[in-house]
Amino acid sequence: MASRKFSSWTNGALAVLRKDLQLELRNKSVLGTLIVFVLSTMFLILVAAGRGDLEPRTEAALLWIVIFFTAALGLGRAFLSEKEQKTRLFLRIHTRPLMVYAGKLCYSFLTILCANVVSACIFLLLLGVEVTLPGLFILTILLGTLGLAGATTLLAAIIARTTRSGILLPVLLFPLLVPLLLAAVESTYFSFVGQSLTEGAWAASLGSLLTITSFSGVVVAASVLLFDYVWQD
Amino acid sequence: MPRKYKTIRLVIIIWMTLVLLGAFSFGGVWLNIPKLAMLEHTARNLYFHVPMWFTMMALTALSAVHAIQCLRTNSPVSDIRSRTAALIAVIFGLLGLATGSVWAHYTWYEGTNIWWNFDPKQSMAAVQVLIYCAYFALRSALDDPRKRARIAAVYNIFAFVTVPFLLYVLPRQLESLHPGAEGNPAFSEITDPIMRVVFYPAVLGFIGVGWLLYTQRVRLARALMALQNIGEDKHFRT
Repeated sequence: MASRKFSSWTNGALAVLRKDLQLELRNKSVLGTLIVFVLSTMFLILVAAGRGDLEPRTEAALLWIVIFFTAALGLGRAFLSEKEQKTRLFLRIHTRPLMVYAGKLCYSFLTILCANVVSACIFLLLLGVEVTLPGLFILTILLGTLGLAGATTLLAAIIARTTRSGILLPVLLFPLLVPLLLAAVESTYFSFVGQSLTEGAWAASLGSLLTITSFSGVVVAASVLLFDYVWQD
Repeated sequence: MPRKYKTIRLVIIIWMTLVLLGAFSFGGVWLNIPKLAMLEHTARNLYFHVPMWFTMMALTALSAVHAIQCLRTNSPVSDIRSRTAALIAVIFGLLGLATGSVWAHYTWYEGTNIWWNFDPKQSMAAVQVLIYCAYFALRSALDDPRKRARIAAVYNIFAFVTVPFLLYVLPRQLESLHPGAEGNPAFSEITDPIMRVVFYPAVLGFIGVGWLLYTQRVRLARALMALQNIGEDKHFRT
């Protein structure tokens, strides 16, 4: 009985995810726009700061600032689209709130992961940054994306209920993301300068990686508990 | 106004007067604080700066508790309490930032022109104030009172669970000039016993002042709500 319950639950979440991905593949609106946004921002950085020698810490900070803005821009759409297409009621009738949350979380994670991979590659290519520890770099991007998606999904549901949704998401999101930003920049910095450290970059960035992981866990757990109240009237 | 409330208010006012007298008692034989290099008399700011932060933390916790209550019962009074506690918390946070910035300017950054530097505890505290400003921005974007109460309560709780990272995890990982940070002795090891005579009552006193402001605003908001309800009823009858 319990296993059937669980499988129906995952089916519901997967159905929500599949619906969003299909819509995305059909008109390629969000991801395409996001990638163009990433590209143009990267060129802005290149033009503004590419000629001087940037410190590794500044480079890590710039990369994460771009990632945060991309996320705020792209993930705010997750629930607004339901409002615009008037499919919110349909979802509410046919699925449990938790299924919707899980589906949207996966969708947000995949979207922002694509955008982040593009921004990381372009960033490393354009600014000529040398990553001495690729494993640490990739792990940081993955964990950071998880934290971003976890924190943003609930807030996206919140702003879909407001009247001035456009400017509100960054205002609500950025102060909450400060712990994630600090830890992610720290860990990315260690992946840039890893070779020159004596004690080992993995050991040095362990604290940051743990912070990102626990932050993701806390925000996802809180979202699961709170999502009902945002989703239902 | 009940007599009990009046009595408590009077006690808090007298208590704070005594705390202020104790905090500013110069010379004499009583409450002489040790004079340390650089700190000198600015150490007295301990009686103001630190209790303000304690008051803010207490009020944010109160705000989150009433937010949970608001989600559970849907009562508008819980919403008022949650909102008011957040507002008073922001005021105490701003005061704490201001006293901290002035204190740092004349001690840590003495001889320089710096008022604000990247000290993790300071910056994280500023971010926490910013989170509560965002909370009020969210409230202003919701028109329906019932929906506003629910959504704002959700954001309040969501923000509150990330605050431990800001105040307790990150400042301990980074270098800071505050006590209790990496490599610094904790508060309990470096504070002279004579300062505790004023410090602990000051903490109680400031929390009392916070409670006074909070209850006052809550009563005002409830009175306004009652007035509005009466007005709406009349409108219905005519």
